[in-house]
Amino acid sequence: MSKKGKIRVLIAKPGLDGHDRGAKVIARALRDSGMEVIYTGLRQSPEDIVEAAIQEDVHFIGLSILSGAHTHIFPRVVELLNEREASDIKIIAGGIIPDEEIPKWNEIGIEAIFGPGSSTNDIIDYIKGSAN
Amino acid sequence: MNKNEIIDKLKEKNIRAVARLLTLIENEEKEAENILKEIWNFTGKSYIIGITGPPGAGKSTIVDLLSKMAIEKGHKVGVLAVDPTSPFSGGAVLGDRLRMTSSQETGIFIRSVASRGHLGGLAATTRFMINAIEMLDNDLTIVETVGAGQGDVEIVQIADTTIVVEVPGLGDEVQAQKAGILEIGDILVVNKCDRPGSDRLARELKMMLSLGEKKDWMPPIVGTTATNGDGFDFLWKEIKNHKKYLGTDRKAEMRLKRINYELENQVSQKLFTKKMVQIGTNEISKMSKKILERKIDPLTAVEEIIRE
Repeated sequence: MSKKGKIRVLIAKPGLDGHDRGAKVIARALRDSGMEVIYTGLRQSPEDIVEAAIQEDVHFIGLSILSGAHTHIFPRVVELLNEREASDIKIIAGGIIPDEEIPKWNEIGIEAIFGPGSSTNDIIDYIKGSAN
Repeated sequence: MNKNEIIDKLKEKNIRAVARLLTLIENEEKEAENILKEIWNFTGKSYIIGITGPPGAGKSTIVDLLSKMAIEKGHKVGVLAVDPTSPFSGGAVLGDRLRMTSSQETGIFIRSVASRGHLGGLAATTRFMINAIEMLDNDLTIVETVGAGQGDVEIVQIADTTIVVEVPGLGDEVQAQKAGILEIGDILVVNKCDRPGSDRLARELKMMLSLGEKKDWMPPIVGTTATNGDGFDFLWKEIKNHKKYLGTDRKAEMRLKRINYELENQVSQKLFTKKMVQIGTNEISKMSKKILERKIDPLTAVEEIIRE
């Protein structure tokens, strides 16, 4: 990345749950650490998220899901990114994801999962480390 | 993707290539300049609508509705939506996309742009970003400015039709008399017409216009409610009227003026950067300290730094 380049992150809330406080807290924290955050709002389909991520040329997609719909949405987002030859865009996630499932999601390409109680600093450090 | 790959894919109207070029332009990479030089002949074909107005006036929602209308009428649409960069962290939350639904279905290309410290309501590279999007063959480009203050009038140097969005409840009629953003509108929109005070605002704007000099094009005032689409047929009609008014001659004249302005900007920017590199930040901080200690006045300090 050039000197002027910024880390760009798409924060998306797929599925039907409307609890977006977590997503907003993360968006703000990333902004305050100097990143450009595109916030897409509630009830986004995986198709819309991937399209937005490509148009915005982001480095990361951050998915916030609290409803349990991640079992459908995670694989679908990965699949769509592959279809669009955009698998260099990294996926991270937060929300309610059972601990025992995390290795499985890591394996299909969800790089990191930050559950309740994660510190925003850890998330920022992770993104900055992974972007370079 | 390297330069040649990007250029090849741009010619195939590949969305990823356009998005990547936009990033290169934003980051002011040398590579972006090289690509722009090669695709220059393919650009410059879209009609550019600028939307500006204060924060929360409904600009993004209006852009959403207008672009959907345009799609229905058979146009291909690209959108650049600028939001402010934090002067403290350098970061930004770009939320315009929130109001713009489902780009997948409609094929509308939307790019959120951070202003990255540029003043005037746009980003420094907006002009070239429009050219990049034009590689998708869109015949309409909509540029939304940051929530603009009274002096953020740069959009007028870029848009063919500038729409200024106002909402009731922000000030009295003296505000309408002030110079700046209200003067640049080719069309004035009073949005949130379902709110009290919108009729009054429309009257005040009308009075402001009637007090000014008579011009060939008198900006129409259009009342809209962007949340339900009221007034948008009328807005669309007025955009078409303005486009017709511009015709080819006026448009050519306007574009020449702009190219002139833009070229002047680019040249001065290049000179500025070159000179700043020459001076170096060390010299500036040394001088700042001297000013703080009152060993030199700021005006002489500037002269001394530039002379070196």
